[in-house]
Order: sequence, then structure tokens, then C-alpha cells
Amino acid sequence: MADVPRQSGPDDEQLVLATLRGDIPSFGLLVERYWKMVFALALSRVHESGEAEDIAQESFLKAYSQLHTLREPWRFAGWLGKIATQQCVNAVRRDIRHKTLVSCETGESADPDTIPAYSSNPGLTEPQIQLVQRTVGRLPEKLQRLIIMRFTTGLSAVQIAQQLGKRPGTVRVWLHRAYQILRKDLAPLLEEVES
Amino acid sequence: MNDCRRYQDLIEEYLGGTIGEGRLEELKAHVAACKTCAEEFRRCTMMQEVVADALQSQVTAHDAAQAIVERLPNRMNVRPRRGGVRVIRVRLAVAAVVLLAVGLIGGFVAGRHGPAGPALTVAPMQVARVDGTVLVRHEGSDTWQTLRSDSTVCLGDTFHCASGADLTLRLKDGKSTLELSENSMLALKAYESETRFFLEHGHCRASLESPHGPFFIETPHGRAEALGTEFTVTVE
Repeated sequence: MADVPRQSGPDDEQLVLATLRGDIPSFGLLVERYWKMVFALALSRVHESGEAEDIAQESFLKAYSQLHTLREPWRFAGWLGKIATQQCVNAVRRDIRHKTLVSCETGESADPDTIPAYSSNPGLTEPQIQLVQRTVGRLPEKLQRLIIMRFTTGLSAVQIAQQLGKRPGTVRVWLHRAYQILRKDLAPLLEEVES
Repeated sequence: MNDCRRYQDLIEEYLGGTIGEGRLEELKAHVAACKTCAEEFRRCTMMQEVVADALQSQVTAHDAAQAIVERLPNRMNVRPRRGGVRVIRVRLAVAAVVLLAVGLIGGFVAGRHGPAGPALTVAPMQVARVDGTVLVRHEGSDTWQTLRSDSTVCLGDTFHCASGADLTLRLKDGKSTLELSENSMLALKAYESETRFFLEHGHCRASLESPHGPFFIETPHGRAEALGTEFTVTVE
């Protein structure tokens, strides 16, 4: 039974304040801590790893440039998640405009199923990875963010509630709802993986 | 069966990362004995792993951090590239010595004392109290410094009170004060013919001795003028 991952080293607030004092390596530590979360948020929206990496990088650069506006440095993860979500929305809008232009010019339309999926996990096949990404991508935005924060950063439901400024009970209910949807939609895949 | 329902809740607590040590031990013991709950537990943890794996990046967090730090505007604080560390350090040391010498000679020739730097106008205000982490950024600078009780206040300074911190400035008459609360950011815009601050966010309280000259606190949403002796401004 795996233990819940715990953060070690300076906490987010200390790293944010150190960054504001000009200590850039502290921001590097924040990137290391939340890279997986931001990348996963982006990948669940755009389904293309290269684009997701670009969005994740842009999200961190934006966070750095606006760090002085972060009122509650201990809520860095929640604030960063919002920036990443907004960057995804912008990217998807740009993408739609671009694809509309391309399809107008070439008469082609993009089929989401033909977009190659990527994961470093050798245990999952490409269709399985696509299924998981689409399933997470279909979750309502608030549930999606919770699931990704929980599964990629190891933050507990209570810590996520603090990050998002919600009540722990609310986050628990939302997580429960997200688990139910994932369990139902991923049931065939889980059976496949098991067998 | 009723018993198993309780363990379903514990499984969900485990998934939420909120299960305590005692309850975790209890869950482990039950799962070892109950086939149905063991299956349910395995499915839940597998779901967690499958989602995390399918959304995993090929780029490690460490490499991503290095790439991003290299793109940040202030590159001087980034670790130098491999291979040339020693040479760069020596060059930096030589450059520092040359700059120091030029600065000293320039200062001597100009008959000036104290450090040369961007033209900062010292304001006739004092830091009366600093509690917690309060940062200051001088006008034209990108760097935040820790504010101390003996720090000089300059025109254009921006003050940032971190969580749990507060700052009190004594204004030019030596009696009036301006208190800045935690999680607030305030800039000094003018102090001569009128005193003017800009509250970007947070909360501040002015206690002015009468008679006082024109005193304003600007915010992103409007401007407040002091008509009496005490007033507060909050920007959500």
C-alpha cells in the first residue's frame, strides 16, 4: 500500500517570498514541485504532449511575471492551477481559430481520435492512454482540477481545499463525484489492465 | 455488509489522502481478510495510477525547471552553464573589481558620498513599525528587498506585506501614520504638495494629525481623499 507522498523542504510560501526577493532557484523548486500538475492539466485539455509542455512552460512564466500579485503565497498551487487552466483556454481558442483556417484552406477537418497520445508509462497502450485522457478531459472543470491536483501532487483533500479556498467537505464531495465518474467510465479499461 | 460499507468510506479517505494512521491500519487489516473490499481497494488505487500515468510528462520535473529558469528575465541569478563556471567566475570577479574602482574614482571626483545608483528621492517618512515579512521595491527596480525598521523610504517605493505581516509608516509631519495590513501592496506616489499613495490590493488605515495637507489614497477603482483624521481603504 503506497504512502501518500509528502512535500519536503521549504514550503510554498517560503519559496514564493524568496523568489520575490530575487532568488530565482526558489522558483525552480516551485516548478519542480508542480510541473506534473500543470502538465497534466494542460494535457487533459489539449491531448497533445508537445503542446501541453508549451502551455505548462508558459503557465510558469506567467506565474513568475505575476508573482507579486499573489496575495496569499501559501495558495500558490491553487493560483497556478487557475493560470494553467486559463492558458489552456487561450490555447484551445487559438487552436480552434487555426484549425478553422486550415480546414477552410484545405477542406480537411481534425479528428481528435487521430491525435497521437503520449505517456511514459509502458504499461498502457495508446488507445488506453487516449481513453483516460478523454475521460479526464470530459470531467467538469472543477472536478478535473481536483483530480489532477490530488493524483499528481499528492496534496490531500484538505490541502486542496486550502489551496482553492473551499471547505474540505465540499472538496471531499466533489472528489467523490469525480471518482464515481472515473470508476464508471474507466471500468472496461481497468478490467483490461487487470487481465 | 454494513461493516464493508464503512470500509468503502475508508477507501475513499485513503484516496483523498485524509486517512489517519490508525484507520489505515484498520483498513489494511480488513482488506487482507475481505475479498470484496480488497477488490474494490485494488480497483481504486489502480484508477489513481492509471490516471496519473496517462497524464505523465516525458520531461522530468527537474529538466522542466531548468528550462523554465533559463527563460526567466533575470538570468544573472541562474546557475552558469556547465563547462565555463570557473572562467565566468573569474571574469565576474574582474568585472566587479573594475566596476568598484570606477565607482570609487567617480564618487571621489564628483565629491559625492554614499553608494551611487538610480536616482532615488528619499521621502521625509519613516518606517515606524515592521512586523513579519514586509518587502520593498524601489521605483525602476525589479528586485524586492526585505524592509527593516531603519530602512529609508523613497518616492516610488512599493511595499508588500506578506501573510501575517504589517507595516506602519510615519508620515512627513512626524505624527500622522499609515498602517498597511497583511497581504497588501501599497506604493508611495507623491509627498510634496500633496501626499498620495496607491493601494493595489489589501487594506490600509491612515491616522492623520490635523491640520493635514491634501492626502489621497488611489486604488485601481478610484481615489479616496482624507477629509477627517482617520480612514481606511480596502481593495478586494
